[in-house]
Amino acid sequence: MVSLSNSLSFISSPLDQFEIRTLLSLDAPILANMEITVTNIGFYLIVGVSIAFILNGLATNYYQITIYATIHSIVVNQINRTKGQIYFPFIFSLFIFILVNNLIGMIPYGFASTSHFVLTFSISFTIVLGATILGLQKHGLEFFSLFVPAGCPLALLPLLVLVEFLSYVSRNVSLGLRLAANIVAGHLLLHILSSLTYNIMTSGFIFFFMALLPLSFVIAFSGLELAIAFIQSQVFVVLTCSYIKDALELH
Amino acid sequence: MSMRLSKGLIGAAARLRPTATLPRAIRPALVRYQSTSPNVPVDPKSKANSILDSLPGSTLASKAAILSATAGVSVAAISNELYVVNDETIVAFCLLSVFWAVGKYGGPAYAEWATAQSQKIKDILNSARADHTQAVKERIDSVSQLGSVVDVTKDLFAVSKETAELEAMTFELEQRVQFTNEVKSVLDSWVRYEAQVKQRQQKELAESLINKVKKELENPAVLKQILAQSVIDVEKIVQQKA
Repeated sequence: MVSLSNSLSFISSPLDQFEIRTLLSLDAPILANMEITVTNIGFYLIVGVSIAFILNGLATNYYQITIYATIHSIVVNQINRTKGQIYFPFIFSLFIFILVNNLIGMIPYGFASTSHFVLTFSISFTIVLGATILGLQKHGLEFFSLFVPAGCPLALLPLLVLVEFLSYVSRNVSLGLRLAANIVAGHLLLHILSSLTYNIMTSGFIFFFMALLPLSFVIAFSGLELAIAFIQSQVFVVLTCSYIKDALELH
Repeated sequence: MSMRLSKGLIGAAARLRPTATLPRAIRPALVRYQSTSPNVPVDPKSKANSILDSLPGSTLASKAAILSATAGVSVAAISNELYVVNDETIVAFCLLSVFWAVGKYGGPAYAEWATAQSQKIKDILNSARADHTQAVKERIDSVSQLGSVVDVTKDLFAVSKETAELEAMTFELEQRVQFTNEVKSVLDSWVRYEAQVKQRQQKELAESLINKVKKELENPAVLKQILAQSVIDVEKIVQQKA
């Protein structure tokens, strides 16, 4: 009993919630002893994708109007009124995937898949690489004119091309980093604040009421987190659209 | 110390609790509630009944049973550590509060907006459907006006057949007229030729006669005979006149 109460009273690291743990592991001498494992991130991604599918299946008018109209307007405004339409399914799926995973991450005892750089970077690298392949396929070698700013002096050209290239390559990192950093920061903040509030609340009768102030902060940050879940999904797809547009119409 | 503090605070709270005026936090809610029905005061009994009605269960006993059972199960779950109250509970409470607030305050506005959007799209679709129906009706009307098209076409065909026959006849007659004109011109030219030939022959005949006469006049015997004949004729005339 003592050990149990000790284990309950120990303060866990706020980063514990992001730890990838193995849920199921198949350790059998098959497929060249390949380790087949279902981790918590894999499980939550499967759950997220299933929910996204179910949401689409149960799509009501309200859901369609809001999400479809929002994403459609993003695609139309960011890429092109006519040429951008074919990217709508991809952008819509991407938005729903990120949004659902962000929201799943907010559930207590849940796991925020989008807080992992391995996931967000793999998505962002794939998107930027895909946009690059799209640009090369459409424009051939002319695609590299993307790195040459219009009307720049010849002497500055090598430097500016280098800067533009670095800026283009850094899209890979910035796109994924933005999403994961926001989610990690939000979850850490919520965890730290909620731990603080809980500790204050359990410290005594009067502290329970005193903790209502930090509790209101936690509620406010929960609202902020909810907003961030939507905003980051939107920012991610807006930037994706902008990268696709850059590849389609070399600026 | 803490007990003293808490007692003092509770006492102060009790003393500070206004009896006539409402707490500030409740006021906006009541104002909003009253703004919808400004002249109807809120009946505390009905308010209490509405709170009771919002609880699960059909009768008062079942409501009480459900409440007490829920409380009992919660206490049992917490005391048996089936559910551990920790900081995640705080997160859950906060999240549910946010969801409740979003549903309570954002929900109706969103539903209104979404309904308006849905209605807008419905109106567009309905007007498009109405336009299409109208267009189809107009097409049906315009087609029905062409109901006698078969008879008209038959008549037109007969007329065109007749016209073709008349045109053929006209062509034939034109050909005949042309042929007749051709023949006439040929005959005219022939007539002209014959007239010329006749004229030439008469001219030749006259010339040959004159030449013959001239030649005979050169003959003295003939001249003498003519003179004799002329004398005879003159004598005859003279005799007759005498």
